[in-house]
Amino acid sequence: MQNDTTHVDSLAVRPLPKWLTDRKEGLTTYKPREVIVKKDNSLNISVVLTGLFVLLVVIILTFYISRIQKKRKK
Amino acid sequence: MCTTKVSEWVLLNAFPENYTLVYYYREPMSEQARLANNNIVRENKSANIVFKEEKANNIDKPYYALYYRTRLFKRFESAGDLVSLSLSPLREKIAADIMSGKLCVMLYLRSGNKLKDEKGKEQITSALESSPFKGIITFIELDRDDAREANFVTMLLNVEDDLAGINEPMLFGIFGRFKALEPLLAGGITEENVGLMIDFLTADCSCLIKDNLPGTDILFTNKWENPLPALVNKILDENPSLQHI
Repeated sequence: MQNDTTHVDSLAVRPLPKWLTDRKEGLTTYKPREVIVKKDNSLNISVVLTGLFVLLVVIILTFYISRIQKKRKK
Repeated sequence: MCTTKVSEWVLLNAFPENYTLVYYYREPMSEQARLANNNIVRENKSANIVFKEEKANNIDKPYYALYYRTRLFKRFESAGDLVSLSLSPLREKIAADIMSGKLCVMLYLRSGNKLKDEKGKEQITSALESSPFKGIITFIELDRDDAREANFVTMLLNVEDDLAGINEPMLFGIFGRFKALEPLLAGGITEENVGLMIDFLTADCSCLIKDNLPGTDILFTNKWENPLPALVNKILDENPSLQHI
């Protein structure tokens, strides 16, 4: 049949099947999207803003009540 | 990412590509040829093949040519050569195994050189013995000069365009709707590479694989509806450590 020896060199350089090389190189594996978790400061910001709001309300009410009391004394 | 395995996904979703059989003739076409062609169409009605007649006045005599995509696979001189074109005993057995839930059929196409054939077979049987999936893989050997499977051998040797000129043993993984992977051949038939073939077929199917399905479809009478559940899932459910991507 065919002369085997003529194919030895060509077989040595013949590329492997793509499904095989992909498998060896991990190219058929699915790489999940990388999820980057950012530091969440929203709670801290919320607490500070609420505190400032409460402080502001307290200041305004204090000022308002003291004015009323001054008027009554007059 | 889906968790359906490659072998199962391809069986359920990947329709085989059509072959084209062209009858080239000089005018006028004989009545005998017309009847023969009608017969060919009828016999291959449910196969993945399209039949065409084409006038070619520059030919000496009419003939048939079998194409897959744009590649000529084989030329036939008469309608009589087209018997068993899309059906043969071995192809029926392979299809039956796949439909019964087997992972794949590993078809070992012998070269005729006993030493080389035995060496390759040793590697394959060793890989199968050590595989947890050995019970769901069928191993079949085929001689190149098997007359009953001549057309099947032609198709296998056309899975890549240089195989017909290589006289070495070849291992084809056949899966899905009769898709044959590009073969391992000669020194490439190693325990490791056979293991990688099994890995490929038992991996979770990814978009990368679906978009770039390897292999060549083999011509076969298509009856792929309602296969039995893939046996690979039972093995993987019982052995979660075998799951991989």
